[in-house]
Amino acid sequence: MNKRTLIVFLLAALPAFAAVDSQWLLQESTLTYHVSHPLHQSEGVSHAAKGKGVCHAGQCEFLIAVPVKSFDSGDSNRDLHMLQVTRGAEFPLVTVRTRLPESDATASTINADLEIQFAGQTAHYKQVPFKVEKQGSETHITGTIPATLTDFKIDPPSLLTMPVKNDIPVRIDMTWHPQ
Amino acid sequence: MLRNWSCNPLVAFLRLLFICLLVQVAPSLIAQTTTGVIRGTVSDESGRAVANAAVTATSIDSGQKQTANTGPDGTYKLELPTGNYRLTFESAGFKKFEISATVGGTVPEVVDAKLEQGEPANGNPAPTQQENLPNAPSSSATAPSLSDLGLSPEQTQGNAREQALLDKRTHMLKIHQRMGLITTIPLVATVILGPGAGGKSTSTASRNLHVALGAVTGDLYGITAYYAIRAPRIKGSPPKRGPIRFHEAMAWIHGPGMILTPILGAIAFDQKSNGEKVHGIASAHGAVAIVTAGAFGAALLSVSAKF
Repeated sequence: MNKRTLIVFLLAALPAFAAVDSQWLLQESTLTYHVSHPLHQSEGVSHAAKGKGVCHAGQCEFLIAVPVKSFDSGDSNRDLHMLQVTRGAEFPLVTVRTRLPESDATASTINADLEIQFAGQTAHYKQVPFKVEKQGSETHITGTIPATLTDFKIDPPSLLTMPVKNDIPVRIDMTWHPQ
Repeated sequence: MLRNWSCNPLVAFLRLLFICLLVQVAPSLIAQTTTGVIRGTVSDESGRAVANAAVTATSIDSGQKQTANTGPDGTYKLELPTGNYRLTFESAGFKKFEISATVGGTVPEVVDAKLEQGEPANGNPAPTQQENLPNAPSSSATAPSLSDLGLSPEQTQGNAREQALLDKRTHMLKIHQRMGLITTIPLVATVILGPGAGGKSTSTASRNLHVALGAVTGDLYGITAYYAIRAPRIKGSPPKRGPIRFHEAMAWIHGPGMILTPILGAIAFDQKSNGEKVHGIASAHGAVAIVTAGAFGAALLSVSAKF
């Protein structure tokens, strides 16, 4: 085999090295943020997340994106205020990236390292625990991301000069389907 | 008919006092027409200062530009008319970085920038979420990207103009909220002094004080209403839901009430000043005032219970 044949063979083989073994699609999701104020508690819910997982060589890479505008707290005035303080028009998506071993799909709990982009900032959360339930071919994942306003350099909104608490935990409820 | 009421020296004095008070308590109102400062520090990914980086502020409203360069310590300062700006940070060997900022005029806006190493700026428009991802395109050949998720361009691309409108809306509604709270003070005082001003054994002094406080309330109410009415509407916003609907419904009561109450009050004032008993349409002044104040209070409480 001469050198040119070897190069042609290697180039032809490259896509095979990058080929995916399996994929996951986010079928249903409920993301809920919780905000606490000394006078009031509120939650905003979104069902608009889109996500995909691509597995190769025993590792799966996941990307989930949700439009900031899609969060609904039941109060349109508050939602617009939330959009403003989180710079949601300028940075319209919240994205979550994580990398997990393919074997985690069969585990009952997983601990994921998350990279979250929101409000033009990136925050990393280490070893966030999620509960995993298999329901037929679907995988149901629930957990809470311990997000805070300062993680994303968001000025806390205030009411009657009292700011909201820094913690804005985000509850995750997702159903993934293998492709 | 309204001559006695409008020439009342106490009214004039309290209005003057009110203007002085307004200057003290609502500096942001004055900031609308003055200049402000944007300052900050430009650094690289490791946190080291980037000297001689060009910082350009472009007014979103007028398009006017102003540029400053960072010093050896990476700091910069721009003195600008109040308004909404697009800030662009450029330096050789770094990617261009853009961000929106609002100059309020009272407190310097601090905008720090962290520049990523890469190709020099190429004049791209406002950043998109995709461009802002540090690992996009993905570090691995198989990792999914935003384009794999089937999101529309409207969902992924940032809109600096809309952000500026949201910033302006919030700024104006904050003033609206603050002024609404301030208005409550003379409003309550006017209502409390009402019976003393219109009863049988009333004195001219108590009537004058009631009129003066009512005038201040009306002026403050007008400013409060202005900031709500002139706050920008955001295109494509979902239909209004929640307490804001009740808040706005109440405005249809206290708005006309705030116009009708002083008119009826002025008629009643003239009748009392002429030694007559308050009669005719003027006798509704007290009831209209109570309903107006009640609607105003309900509107205030409806949004105060939420943030």
